[in-house]
Amino acid sequence: MKGKGIKYLALALGCVGTASAAAGCGASENDGKTEIEIVQYKPEAANYFEMVEQEFNETHDDIHLTISSPNDAMTILKTRFIREDYPDIIGIGGDINYSYFVDAEILADVSDYEGMQDIKQAYLDIDEALEFVPTQGTYAVPYVANAAGILYNRDMFEEYGWEIPENWEELLALCEEIKSEGILPFYFGFKDTWTCLAPWNAMAIDLAPADTAKLVNRGETTFAAEYREAAEKYLELLPYGPEDPFAYGYNDACTAFARGESAMYTIGSYAAPQILSVNPEMNLDSFVLPACEVKEGNTLNSGIDLQFCVTAACENKEAAYEVLDFLLADENLQKYIDAQTAIPCKEGDFKLSSILDGMSDYIEAGNMTDYQDHYYPSEMAVDAMLQTFLIQKDTDAFLKKFDTDWQRYNRDIIRMVQAYEEEQE
Amino acid sequence: MTKAKKAGGTNRLAMVLLILGLSTIVFPLYMTVVIAFKQPSEMTNSISGILSLPGSWSLDNFREAMRVTDFWHSLGNSLLITLLTVALSLVLHSLMGYALGRNKRESKFYSFVYLFIVSGMFVPFAILMMPLAKQTAEMGLANWMGVILLYVVFYMPMNVLLYSGYLVNIPLALEEAARVDGASTWRTYWKIIFPIMRPMHATVAVLTALSVWNDVMTPLVILAGSGKNTLPLAQLNFQSQFGTNYNLAFASYLLSLIPILIFYVICQKQILNGVVNGAVK
Amino acid sequence: MKNERKRTFLLITLPILALFICFNTVPLIRGVIYSFTNFKGFGSYDWVGFRNYIDLFSDARVGKSYLFTFKLAIVTTIVVNIISLVLALALNSKIRAKSFFRGAYFLPNILGALVVGYIFNYFFTYILPALAAMAGVDSLSTSILSDPDTAWLGIMAVCAWQAVAMNTIIYISGLQTVPEDVYEAGDLDGATGFKKFRHLTFPLIVPFFSINMVLCVKNFLMVFDQIMALTKGGPAQSTESISYLIYNNGMSGGQFGFQSANAVIFFIVIVMVSVAQMKFTGKKEEQL
Repeated sequence: MKGKGIKYLALALGCVGTASAAAGCGASENDGKTEIEIVQYKPEAANYFEMVEQEFNETHDDIHLTISSPNDAMTILKTRFIREDYPDIIGIGGDINYSYFVDAEILADVSDYEGMQDIKQAYLDIDEALEFVPTQGTYAVPYVANAAGILYNRDMFEEYGWEIPENWEELLALCEEIKSEGILPFYFGFKDTWTCLAPWNAMAIDLAPADTAKLVNRGETTFAAEYREAAEKYLELLPYGPEDPFAYGYNDACTAFARGESAMYTIGSYAAPQILSVNPEMNLDSFVLPACEVKEGNTLNSGIDLQFCVTAACENKEAAYEVLDFLLADENLQKYIDAQTAIPCKEGDFKLSSILDGMSDYIEAGNMTDYQDHYYPSEMAVDAMLQTFLIQKDTDAFLKKFDTDWQRYNRDIIRMVQAYEEEQE
Repeated sequence: MTKAKKAGGTNRLAMVLLILGLSTIVFPLYMTVVIAFKQPSEMTNSISGILSLPGSWSLDNFREAMRVTDFWHSLGNSLLITLLTVALSLVLHSLMGYALGRNKRESKFYSFVYLFIVSGMFVPFAILMMPLAKQTAEMGLANWMGVILLYVVFYMPMNVLLYSGYLVNIPLALEEAARVDGASTWRTYWKIIFPIMRPMHATVAVLTALSVWNDVMTPLVILAGSGKNTLPLAQLNFQSQFGTNYNLAFASYLLSLIPILIFYVICQKQILNGVVNGAVK
Repeated sequence: MKNERKRTFLLITLPILALFICFNTVPLIRGVIYSFTNFKGFGSYDWVGFRNYIDLFSDARVGKSYLFTFKLAIVTTIVVNIISLVLALALNSKIRAKSFFRGAYFLPNILGALVVGYIFNYFFTYILPALAAMAGVDSLSTSILSDPDTAWLGIMAVCAWQAVAMNTIIYISGLQTVPEDVYEAGDLDGATGFKKFRHLTFPLIVPFFSINMVLCVKNFLMVFDQIMALTKGGPAQSTESISYLIYNNGMSGGQFGFQSANAVIFFIVIVMVSVAQMKFTGKKEEQL
């Protein structure tokens, strides 16, 4: 038995030895090429990025590109930041994490990047708005956007001759009509709290200022004042969904909608691949959720789904720009759009998925507004607050909690904004 | 209890109980297997639909799952990390359990160290995560060796608790006899105590291996950016925020279940064949 | 001789203790330091003194999570220990296909969280209500996971389902230290069997009982995976466990400093609970 114990020890020690030797060997293979590393946060697009990586490396002798598309990329990025091990380019969404990263001065100013001129102004404005306090530079190159509203079953609509609603009244009328045919108008997957945000965003941007969060931070308004109508209208939608929407998750809702159990689903274009995986034959289209009483008041809910930021630690910005050029090349961008039903952030003649047909007027006109939740700190859990609100149906309590929690979770940001405002005066 | 019953028969009550309880395991397992063979287009929300047999018993899902997870590489990494962690744990934790278990009653120092280490069990990993990510990188341990070292530390509290608990039932007289023969404490440990703790070794091995095998967070944080994947890390590829391929994921989980099940079956024989019964008497 | 023994013990203890301190205590101290800042997990941060700790005690969400976690932990601990003791005795008695049963009952422990989450969500959302409708039980006609009052029961069931395997193994290995004659007398064999079990077998496996209690406290007070798999804190934030808050808001969110403070307090609470528990069962052990 003594032998056994010592054998274990020897085995362990031996392994540690070989491992350190192996670690020493694999340190770096530098053959004079500039290394560029991208970490991007959309694992569902991993195949596309593998292809980009391969094609780029085949056509470039001086730069070697590595792209990783890990799951839970935010955790990975944050742990790498704390180790001060920065990738050259990060691919993230236009949400509050971007705001944090700008604020933490992790990202480099890319306003000197030439490709920037081809990016649609609407998306540059969105990025600008995401900064807590205005800065001089530009810190991201928007790549693609997604859009949210209502997905509908086009075949079903054609069969019954239903029209796309253009204002709130028409939407409710449509729901009644669908219901009278014995069909469920909406499916909801509110068990997954984040899906509560989809209709919320789509309605709130129609009914509240796009920069509500910033106005509140500056002390110019309250959520109770701006969000009341959206909250009340949200409750009006509930009866048109399944009986117990909190029993079903996102996946249940996608499956049910794909199987024709409901005519519409209030979600974004990003859900299309999951829905089509269940029913590849489904004829899917979308329209803007019309929460306003008049058509002109409505706007498409669209935000930056993926953008590339060069980190401040990147040693060779020129090489990084070359990689960005490659990614933004029309034929590559088109491939991404096809694979992910995305909307390009770049000007140009791109072919959009037929799923976005009903939204194309808004896209062409540039009538788009960013998701409200891109301004919400995730730890405030607005998604869970919305779920609570939909269960308890107490608008006053919800709005009151929204305002008090906002002050509590954004304390440092509000202080920063106020300090900036004072400086400006 | 009559002699005849003891020698021949099975315990009927126990059998009935076990078979009834088995339904809580067979049912989820059945669902897992069925879903692993189905195509995404066969997924429904109806009960009869989900419980029905797949359209075909093709192994495509398993093949695809193996490709997506780079199965053999990830399996190799997982095996390496798991086996080394278990080996180190058996040696270091049993020693520590012995030293603390034998002394904690008399000595204030050992009793403090015992509580100190056992309380380490309750440190939420989330608070250690960031500091550890930084520390391992500074020490050049942001690799699988670092992961193993961390595991040896993470599971030390539980395993020390198990070993020192087991020692309570092992009489001191056994060691004293050896000491009278002139054996050193170190020798006595390896010759008498280590072998006698075999059922506990097997228990510790199973529990440690299982926790390591399924763990995602430690390799995620420590191996971030190294390009090395363990199986659970690779399995994250099946889920993303807006879509999960349950069919591939289930196939992959079934595959990764096999090695650890085999390990368990081997170990549980050791738990049974404990030599303590004879030795204590 | 005595000195040799002492020296050996010291030589064993010190290096392993050093390793432990290096990778557990040192990072913990760093974490404690962060709890006095508004660190988001990256970038720069400011010292905020005791603000995080003061906030903790006025945060309704944190308070709620403590109540929920303790309720869940206490009930699950009782359920799991009863079931796994019975199972261990059954698996240890004279039965056919022993290896098969032991393997089968171990399975819940190895199934990945994604699989467990999917299957039990399905079970609670579709199958259980259908079964209840057939049996005419109205109170179960909707998913128990969608009702803030009952969702914790679903989580309890899944926690127990998974944890029973581990506690059973520990009880089985405990039963191996019981001399055969005693152990057989405690066989599951009717009323007299139970009495014998209580007075003969059980006292001998008390050390394992206390190990299982500590492990239960650890597993269920720190419950996280099952919450993520089943409810993600919902419905209406009724199932947010302490670990869920610490991870979700601290790691994924930008509250690293605040949740570090939460983790520190939680650590102190949980250590106090388990020290009290060990003292209690320790006394029991000595009485025997």
